[in-house]
Amino acid sequence: MSGFDSSLFDAQLEEFTSEQLDQLDQIVSRYKGKPGALIPVLEQVQDICGYLPVALQKRIADGLNLPVANVYGVVTFYSFFTMVPRGKHVIRVCLGTACYVRGGQRILGKIIEQLKIQPGECTEDRNFSLETVRCLGACGLAPVVVIDDDTHGQVKPAKLEALLAKYN
Amino acid sequence: MAKLTIDDLKKIKERVEREDQFRSGTKRVKLTVHMGTCGIASGAKGILDTFMEEISENDVNDVLVTTSGCIGICSREPLATVEEQGKEPIVYEYLTPNKARQIFKQHVLKGVVQMDFVLARGKEQEDRGVRS
Amino acid sequence: MKVFRAHILVCGGTGCRATGSEGILGSLTRELASRKLTDEVVVVETGCNGFCAAGPIMVIYPEGTFYQYVKAEDVPEIIEEHIIKGRPVQRLMYKEPVTDAPIPHMLDIPFFGKQMLIALKNRGLIDAEKIDEYIARDGYMALAKALHDMNPDQVIEEIQKSGLRGRGGGGFPTGMKWSFARKSAGDVKYVLCNADEGDPGAFMDRSILEADPHAVLEGMIIGGYAIGASHGYIYCRAEYPLAIKRLNLAIQQAKDYGLLGEDILGSGYSLEIEVYQGAGAFVCGEETALMASIEGKRGMPRPRPPFPASKGLWMKPSVLNNVETFANIPQIVLKGGQWYSSIGTERSKGTKVFALTGAVNNVGLVEVPMGTPIGDIIFDIGGGIIGGKQYKASQLGGPSGGCIPAEALNTPTDYEEIVKLGAIMGSGGLIVMDEDTCMVDTARFFMEFCQEESCGKCTPCREGTKRMLQILERICRGEGRDGDIELLEDLAANIKDSALCGLGQTAPNPVLSTIRYFRSEYEAHIYEKRCPAVVCADLFKSPCQHACPIEMDVPAYIALIRAGRLDDAYRVMKKTNPFPGVCGRVCPQFCANKCRRGQLDEPIAIAWLKRYIADNGKLPKVEEVPVTRKEKIAVIGAGPAGLTAAQDLAKRGYKVTVFEELPHAGGMMRYAIPEYRMPRDIVEGEVDEIRALGVEIKTNTRVGKDISFAQLRKDFDMVLVAVGAHTSWKLEIEGEDLTGVWGATEFLREVNLGKNVKIGSRVAIVGGGNSAIDAARTAVRLGAKDVTILYRRERKDMPAWENEIVAAEHEGVKIVYLVAPTRLVGKNGTLNGVACQRMLLGEFDRSGRRKPVPIEGSEYVLSIDTIIPAISQNADTSFIESGSDLELDKWGGIKRAPKSTVKTTAPGVFIAGDAATGPATVVEAIAMGHQAAAEIDSAIREKNGEPPYKEPPEEKIDIPFEVDEEAKETPRAIMPEMKVADRIISFEEVELGYSKKTAYSESCRCLRCDAEL
Repeated sequence: MSGFDSSLFDAQLEEFTSEQLDQLDQIVSRYKGKPGALIPVLEQVQDICGYLPVALQKRIADGLNLPVANVYGVVTFYSFFTMVPRGKHVIRVCLGTACYVRGGQRILGKIIEQLKIQPGECTEDRNFSLETVRCLGACGLAPVVVIDDDTHGQVKPAKLEALLAKYN
Repeated sequence: MAKLTIDDLKKIKERVEREDQFRSGTKRVKLTVHMGTCGIASGAKGILDTFMEEISENDVNDVLVTTSGCIGICSREPLATVEEQGKEPIVYEYLTPNKARQIFKQHVLKGVVQMDFVLARGKEQEDRGVRS
Repeated sequence: MKVFRAHILVCGGTGCRATGSEGILGSLTRELASRKLTDEVVVVETGCNGFCAAGPIMVIYPEGTFYQYVKAEDVPEIIEEHIIKGRPVQRLMYKEPVTDAPIPHMLDIPFFGKQMLIALKNRGLIDAEKIDEYIARDGYMALAKALHDMNPDQVIEEIQKSGLRGRGGGGFPTGMKWSFARKSAGDVKYVLCNADEGDPGAFMDRSILEADPHAVLEGMIIGGYAIGASHGYIYCRAEYPLAIKRLNLAIQQAKDYGLLGEDILGSGYSLEIEVYQGAGAFVCGEETALMASIEGKRGMPRPRPPFPASKGLWMKPSVLNNVETFANIPQIVLKGGQWYSSIGTERSKGTKVFALTGAVNNVGLVEVPMGTPIGDIIFDIGGGIIGGKQYKASQLGGPSGGCIPAEALNTPTDYEEIVKLGAIMGSGGLIVMDEDTCMVDTARFFMEFCQEESCGKCTPCREGTKRMLQILERICRGEGRDGDIELLEDLAANIKDSALCGLGQTAPNPVLSTIRYFRSEYEAHIYEKRCPAVVCADLFKSPCQHACPIEMDVPAYIALIRAGRLDDAYRVMKKTNPFPGVCGRVCPQFCANKCRRGQLDEPIAIAWLKRYIADNGKLPKVEEVPVTRKEKIAVIGAGPAGLTAAQDLAKRGYKVTVFEELPHAGGMMRYAIPEYRMPRDIVEGEVDEIRALGVEIKTNTRVGKDISFAQLRKDFDMVLVAVGAHTSWKLEIEGEDLTGVWGATEFLREVNLGKNVKIGSRVAIVGGGNSAIDAARTAVRLGAKDVTILYRRERKDMPAWENEIVAAEHEGVKIVYLVAPTRLVGKNGTLNGVACQRMLLGEFDRSGRRKPVPIEGSEYVLSIDTIIPAISQNADTSFIESGSDLELDKWGGIKRAPKSTVKTTAPGVFIAGDAATGPATVVEAIAMGHQAAAEIDSAIREKNGEPPYKEPPEEKIDIPFEVDEEAKETPRAIMPEMKVADRIISFEEVELGYSKKTAYSESCRCLRCDAEL
């Protein structure tokens, strides 16, 4: 593959342990040849590696025998995939309509103020990354903030600080 | 497992009814914690844990604890249902571990319904003409 | 044996420990030791009492006093008061709960009772992770029936007969879809389930999958059998991890039982189903995009035809249905299409699940028969709006849907009826919005959603939504331009016509729908740079100020209280309000309704702080303003509107004369509001300040009698009609000519004139507004023994203020709800009774409240001597000569010039206050007075060819900025009141006003939303 600067990829791959890369290869070989395999593979790889830099995309593309451009196209299309590293804890603020009507935007503003990062970014210490989502389907508890796998309902701006402190 | 036939389906149905430890009378009380995403997010897991703790602390073996999905009224979560043999089920709302503890001690063990936390009695699916 | 004087039992159970009983034990030990009581009092840690929710618990013997919610800080008080002084600490004592209250049955609670469960039939009853529990509730019996007793065509026929339509949004008949796929040739076919529930505010699919995954599987297997599919996928959003887990578990269990896989139930039919996890793209809810996504591609829609029924997933015939649709299938197969089609409306059959959320009391999942009015879902099942706020609209159908305003609450849930409103049924997300929601901002929100989720394949959607979003953002920022609304409509029409897929075609719906029902809100943003809901933050400094009709600088005067600068605070108030002392007592506080503090605990007591300033601050002496203009202006009516306009015009150098029929100036402030709410000297004082500017107020002078209206117009250049609305509406029932029948306004006026008003001992008042309460409380003070308010709706619908209603009740006023008078009964020309009819609340009226409907045969007679209808008032316009160019409308009110609030049809005649609007509030009258003055002045200048008036530079008052580091939850300071026994025998002011200390602490609750940091 002459079009790529492989030294750049090598640098990106150094972020990951050999164990992670082995798992990646295993996933790829398990799905190889299955129709429609790309998205499940990407989901699982992101689960293991945290994010999907171009170097990983290339490794997956090579493994599945797909053009890198296809993989890149899919990664950039779906909001679930990220090409930048995530923090240790991922904060997802719901901005679905019910949360919006009940003040989700103010919650987001407060988090931005506290962590000093914008949605899509990661704190300097890599402890938190911040994302917004469109409805988590927990509208009964609006406004909702999900941190890692914990759903927090009826979040109040005044209580955010204490909530985030639990994840330090 | 061997494949089922229609008769097997009916047998399962009968078996479940027969073996249902609550319906068969083996268990005196059935506790249901409602655990959909809403319930879990508002703390249903803590309620379930509290019931389990109380069961082991009080060393009772006639109480059946089970979980089920959302009953629909998300704004009152966490919710749990206490059903004593021969009595109408009682649904409790806005639970906290301490309320759950009190419900266990007073209602499950002594049969005193804790009015302060009650949402309603009975079941939603009871036939009242229009219901399926 | 050692004898102790007292035993203190502290609960050491798990619950009480968790809430801090150990700290209490420590505190007790220390406290007893320091007071040398260790030998007299013994502390015992006990096992659990079983009152864990009220913990930590403490019981003190020998009395057996039971304390709850005890904190370590309470211990010194308990020792001091209870142990030493023998006085139990009341505030910590256990209060017996009401134990004899009956427990309502689930079905007696409207939230459950009004629902009908088909798709949700197993909710809350089975453990979703146990297939046996599903089977025990007839699970997979429908599948068995389909596989053994029916051929695929019969299954499809049954579904067609049921009338089931797609529950995902489109509403396409399911049976028809299946029959197309069945007829499509192909050896491989797919059955697909759309669980990519992307509409914000919809969560019924998640809930079904979590609570009853087998129902969906069973429906899918039946669907697969009907079309001849060998493979199936459930496309589920990644955001639903629990649903995915339970689905996978359900698939495994079904396979283990042979209900999925090869040769299902020995029928020879085979089907494999797997879960496919979506990756976060709203567009994948569109069927062709969803299929592209399963194929591993970017989820972009493609043009149809070919339709998926012939060429779908991997170009094979496919059927895609949503979760709720599949969950209905087993019940239809079991009970028959006939049964299902007996439920619902002509064209929409069965039930529909709604996800009810937003500003509604009961949030949750609601399954109702099709045809149930939307208002019933929101107000009966949902329990109405949170915090008693006003319903504004609900959004149905997510970003492709539209809003349902108050006037459409009777609309039945029926696919076609909802489309007529400009919304769609969609997946059933019903988001309720109250008065605090800005509809322009809501439209912007949805447009932003569609813009971000546009897949980018077709230009109309990609670029069109971006353009629409830019315009909406501009409007919300206060940079809207004339023509923006029309531009939005044009773009919307374009996108609708030319976008490739459903998402694009429906993206403009929320905008079109909000323009349709809330155009005036768009106009307020564009032309007045005002956000009526007080949401669009770029348009204002602080919400309270923006909500105030005269934009009083609330945070400024509250900050000045905190700084102890009352005189400056007073001057700030006077800049826009000539009657702060009056408003501090009777303002409805549009400001407090929007106070941000209310989101934390309670809104600031803005009016009461205003009153505190007016009662305690001092103003510099008012100097007379020299008359510099030749034009003379007459104002008819010395109420808040007329006097405000007079003040403004005098300040601009005009000679103003106010004509007032009654002996004192003040209008409604003086003659309608009773003295116990509004002491006379307050009105007098504020009127005097206007008089001091040089305004002449001619009291006891009625225009139309003492001077004719025509003469007035000759003598003066401009006339402002501000006569108020002083004529009570009649009930328009039999017997109103009897002695003992009063109009509320007339009654209050006579009392306020100081006349000796005679009423009977049994008085009835009709109505639910503040005038009704005023009349009732006044009747009590005049000595009536029995005062009853008759109101035709429910308490929550009463326009009167809650604190006024409560005060009336304290004073012994009875309120009977849901009754209306039908006839007045009398003897020898004197009233002795009122016939009342009981009411039921029926359909919704245009205001979004339920209309009272009489119950036939429920009439009863209430014995009374006096009745005071207080239902509304209108203006007395008898001073206008017939043939005048000042035109009246068909109800006798003065007509206003088109598109104007203060101009009439007659040249040189303006109008303001209640005379223009009907009964409103003092602050609204002041606002109109300001506006009338400005328009009168500019009309004069325009006529003279003068340049517009330039405001003199505003007096500079430095506003300190001081806020608490942390806002601790503190309720609003209570207004001290006179004792009930004292107040019912006098007209002295009931509310006593804040003390310096209270006013200060209340002022510290202000969050200072005006600050720019």
